[in-house]
Amino acid sequence: MISKLQGKNFWLIILAAVLAAFPFFSDSRTMTILLTQIFIFAILAMSYDILLGYTGIVSFGHAMFFGVGAYTTAVILDRMEPTLGMFILSVGAGMLIAGILSFIAGLLTLRLKSHFYAMFTLALSGLFLVAAEKWRTVTNGNDGFTFRAPELFQDRTMFYLAALGCLVLVYLILSRFVASPMGRVLIAVRENEQRTASLGYKTLHYKVTASVVAGVFASLAGSLYSVSLRFVNTSVMTMDITLDALLMTIIGGVGTLIGPILGATVIEFAQHYLSGLARDYPIFERWIIFFGIVYILAVIFFPQGIVGWFRQIRAKRLGKREAAIRAKQPVLKAKAEENG
Amino acid sequence: MGLLMNLTVNGLATGMLIFLLAAGLTLIFGLMSVLNFAHGGLFAWGAFSGVFFYGITGSFIISVVGAILTGIVLGFITEKLIIKPVYGNHVQQILITLGFMLVLSEMLKVVFGPNQIAAKTPDYLSGSWEVGGVILIKYRLFIILIGIIVFAIVQFILKRTKIGLIVRAGVINKEMVQALGIDINKVFLYVFMAGAALAALAGALMAPYSGVVYAEMGLEFAILAFIVVVIGGMGSFPGSLLAAILVGLAGSYMAYFVPSLSLAVNMILMAVVLIFRPQGLFTAKEA
Repeated sequence: MISKLQGKNFWLIILAAVLAAFPFFSDSRTMTILLTQIFIFAILAMSYDILLGYTGIVSFGHAMFFGVGAYTTAVILDRMEPTLGMFILSVGAGMLIAGILSFIAGLLTLRLKSHFYAMFTLALSGLFLVAAEKWRTVTNGNDGFTFRAPELFQDRTMFYLAALGCLVLVYLILSRFVASPMGRVLIAVRENEQRTASLGYKTLHYKVTASVVAGVFASLAGSLYSVSLRFVNTSVMTMDITLDALLMTIIGGVGTLIGPILGATVIEFAQHYLSGLARDYPIFERWIIFFGIVYILAVIFFPQGIVGWFRQIRAKRLGKREAAIRAKQPVLKAKAEENG
Repeated sequence: MGLLMNLTVNGLATGMLIFLLAAGLTLIFGLMSVLNFAHGGLFAWGAFSGVFFYGITGSFIISVVGAILTGIVLGFITEKLIIKPVYGNHVQQILITLGFMLVLSEMLKVVFGPNQIAAKTPDYLSGSWEVGGVILIKYRLFIILIGIIVFAIVQFILKRTKIGLIVRAGVINKEMVQALGIDINKVFLYVFMAGAALAALAGALMAPYSGVVYAEMGLEFAILAFIVVVIGGMGSFPGSLLAAILVGLAGSYMAYFVPSLSLAVNMILMAVVLIFRPQGLFTAKEA
């Protein structure tokens, strides 16, 4: 335990402590809000990485789970009393709905080739977006609605700490999850599904579980997001959210939990500053093109992301065989043609 | 009666447009197991360039030809730059084609501006005929006609020509075709360009049908095309026609009778197919 603390975890604890102390030393409102946003999207990106990085499943419907969380929390807080208890209840309800949804989506498509899950989640999230636009009595369509956040979260600093706490908690839960026997099987599925199946593992069960875990934590991120804005509209269901999660995961580093957090930090800061630049240089209004190009190049040339890159550098510097093995991070690898 | 007739014509017209999109997708998938998420982007480019060429030349035929050429060029670029580097790697392919879709639709906003653009129907195709008390809108019949012609041409190529034979064989067993000394990658490039041309044609025909073009239309239609590909069976060309008509008709009837279910009905169709016949209704090979 102590030896473990001296390694990576030690630095993470320091980092979390510094971040927790940050709002008491700085009174930059923008920075507090930006960091809160980063914490929330880091949760979303980590949940996405359970699918993409650990299990090798591509989902294009992550915005749906995010949106389910956001709307559940917003509707419950709006219709009921905006108390902390109601908030926790709404988070739980959102996670439950997202879990059921991802269970169904997984059960229907995960026994087929990886394309089916991507297509099905894309179509299903398209359906949810239209439903959110059309079901105006609940969602008020594209205009959205504002609601009152619980009193405790009215204070930006308190909400900042709550989001940070959630991030740390989700990180701990997910790192236990991927280190568990369950998580090991997921990695085995990613590496070679047929071989895993022939070892006697029911890979469908494991893949559906990964889908559910990802959906549930994405919903948590959505709940936090809507409370951070105290407003919700259909934008939480759009493809942009899925793309954000994808970009953060890929650029940060797939198959790790630190990667998505790093990715969320990089992307959020870049968005913040690039949209600032857009005021002076109109070309930056289309900053998403730059991201798209960076993303394509990353998929081709840089499939291990920032974390993988660091590991490579470290492996080179140490020049040790051990480090080289540790740096091997064969994610995004082709899954051999499953079932022909 | 008139109402049912109109709904049917509507559904068939929409179905034909989806078919043009899904035909390329299904053949591309059947040949190389590449699921092209950028297909909707090619569709949107077809729509915008159709409107653009119509605006400068005033000729509908030139605008359609221009859109098809745009599709071919973009298809070539997509295959060479985006698909080729990640052959054989499904996860990377899915990720990269989606990224390209994003770039394509954002580029539309850079080139043509972020707002939606109105699209005009040429005079000789606007208006309607009245046949026995039923009003038939000319442009919708025109789309159905084009769809049938394209289906016949592609079916002829697939069934009666040498390249069609190679494509059909490649869909069933790619390795065997390669073993016989045929460069499947080159065949795939042609099929990809042809698929892109069909998507662009669909876009160019869609523009006057919906009246406006906007950058997000690509993704919206691509979702319908994916549903069609799943229902029809991956790699099945006739399947994509039948499934597209099914989806088009279901959407059109539902939009009238149970509007709130019009999008859900396609999802339900897809879910039912996935549960009971995951290889698709008219499959060419095992899923």
